[in-house]
Amino acid sequence: MSPIDLIAVPALAALAVAVGAGRARATLLLVGAALVTTALAIVEVLSAPIAQASLAGLVRVDATSRLFLAVVNPIFLGISTYIWHRVRTTPALHEGIQRLVGLALVFLAATNALLIANHLVALWILLELTALTATPMIVRARSEAARRAAFRYLLFSTVGLGLVALGFACLHRGMEAAGLPPTFLLDRLFALRPLPHDTWTKLGLSLALLGIGTKLGLAPMYSWLPETYDEAPPAVAALLGAVQFNAALVVLFRLVQVYRADNAALVAGQLLAMGLVSMVVSTVSIIATRNIKRLIAYASINHAGVIAIGLGVGGSASYGLLLYVLSNAFIKAILFLTAGKIMAHYRTNDTRVISGLIKDLPYSGVFLMVGTIALLGFPPFGSFLGELLILSALVGSGRMLTFAAFCALITMTFVATGRTVFPMIWGPAKEKHEWPRQTLPAALPKLTFLVALVVLGIYIPPAFNALIQQVAASLEGP
Amino acid sequence: MGLLGVMVVPLFVATWRSSLFGLSCQGFLIAWAAYRLSPELHSVETWLTLVDLVVVRGIAAPLLLYRLLLSQNRAARHDIIAPNLLSWTVALGLVLAAFNLSAALVPVDGDERALISVATAAVLLSFLVLASQSTAFGQVVGALRLENGIALFELGGGRHHGTLVTHIGQIAIVAGTLGLYVWLLRGFSESTSIPPATTQDEPTL
Repeated sequence: MSPIDLIAVPALAALAVAVGAGRARATLLLVGAALVTTALAIVEVLSAPIAQASLAGLVRVDATSRLFLAVVNPIFLGISTYIWHRVRTTPALHEGIQRLVGLALVFLAATNALLIANHLVALWILLELTALTATPMIVRARSEAARRAAFRYLLFSTVGLGLVALGFACLHRGMEAAGLPPTFLLDRLFALRPLPHDTWTKLGLSLALLGIGTKLGLAPMYSWLPETYDEAPPAVAALLGAVQFNAALVVLFRLVQVYRADNAALVAGQLLAMGLVSMVVSTVSIIATRNIKRLIAYASINHAGVIAIGLGVGGSASYGLLLYVLSNAFIKAILFLTAGKIMAHYRTNDTRVISGLIKDLPYSGVFLMVGTIALLGFPPFGSFLGELLILSALVGSGRMLTFAAFCALITMTFVATGRTVFPMIWGPAKEKHEWPRQTLPAALPKLTFLVALVVLGIYIPPAFNALIQQVAASLEGP
Repeated sequence: MGLLGVMVVPLFVATWRSSLFGLSCQGFLIAWAAYRLSPELHSVETWLTLVDLVVVRGIAAPLLLYRLLLSQNRAARHDIIAPNLLSWTVALGLVLAAFNLSAALVPVDGDERALISVATAAVLLSFLVLASQSTAFGQVVGALRLENGIALFELGGGRHHGTLVTHIGQIAIVAGTLGLYVWLLRGFSESTSIPPATTQDEPTL
């Protein structure tokens, strides 16, 4: 088996949809391709690690690649199953589904390629490709608002990734000025020590962090995220929040892995500042919003802030940060897919109208409840341990002001989210509804994510734990 | 000076045609600068750079947007930045700031510093355009100006750090982004007012 298969399988499936061979059963093809790539990703994780570059040095599978392949592909499979079930049970969704399936398959191929890419510019290209394929998926027929959200998403992607490209050009100049052979191949960059820390490099790194921060929804350029997640169909919002977010995060990890050792103060300072500001704006927005999808979107900004702070602190926070990242991916997938189910039944996204979920839609009520509890960082979920380790590292590194601000913001988020979500679950049903009960195929993806979430909090298999520890160590530099 | 002129002048001429003409001129002048920097034309990378700058940025981008706006019967007047003294002062201030920043980055006076100065000015002005525009077309112009500024910045060497595959990939991304912008703009209604709130009446995935 070659890692290239992870790209080839979805790419060939997309081609089959495009030429018409797979049109009749497009959603089945989507699930089939996702199933194969998930199996391939698991084999990749279980096989002996070979961090050897191949394909003209452009492909290299290391611990980071393996960890994220093992997370992103199963989540994509779950979302695909949700799409298949929704299309099967809702005839109105048949229109235009081939186009969406084709785009989703290219999105998966680009994401997998990004996870195993060994070149910073290739990472940039592939991240932009995921944005280009996601944009038409956000657009819904007969919705001007969705089209405008897609436009805004593309605009911010262009600007954010433009900043990254500008940063790379500066980093290149920094290497030239220091007399180093300019390269963006990751394995060569890991071998080049020490890397320069002149003005060009600092400017380049700062721009690149700012640009990637835009893709992650970090302040100051986060305003695209709530609108996009709100207007996109829930399955697409789940793809953006749980799959593309992790792809962008891998690009950030690569930058940190390469440049932290020689530019520690800049990386820490910028990530901590962006993280804290993101937490502040998202907390205020969570208090104000009455829209369920926007609430999850603001929670995503909040999570991105926590991740940026964890990454900025580094050291012992890195392991916790990874637990938080992995939990966060499953939480967002659960919450967006559950929001989709709730909105499909209540025909609204207003949290004041939705009430008595536990009686009306027991499965969705339970998923929303557990997802929210995990979102808020309660035990036994991985997000609890992750946050605890990040907080402990903040104290350990003497950043008491950041620690205090972090605690205050987390508490406010907890109260605001609980105040909005819990009445939706346990409140009295406002109208008599006769909802059809959820079937197992509809609940299965979320159930699987839930199991993964609990496993991350209670018992992590030793092989997977070793992988997390390797990635945590790599975040300190080569 | 020519490059700086095509970055600045369209900001003060308030028609969409002049904006597009400015974008086209930027593409051609950056291509000319690229040719001046490596006149041999032996490598595939150099040819690809020229194709990107001339065909995609110099011809395709302005032409596609021109045809689109013409089909929508758009009024001739279109301010890229707000037509007042404050905006003009900010624009000129950004150009000055770009030159000062470049002097700090490249201590030796010469062609390299001039190139960096103009590229920095182009990037900063593109942010001014993006910040002051509320129309989709104006924001696309801002984004394309940013792309041109980056292309100019990369002329000093940043563009040739990759392989042929990454180079082709970069051009494909620029072309794909342009295509998507045109597709999205085509679907917008003429109105620039706030879009109606989303209804949850139709089923979504």
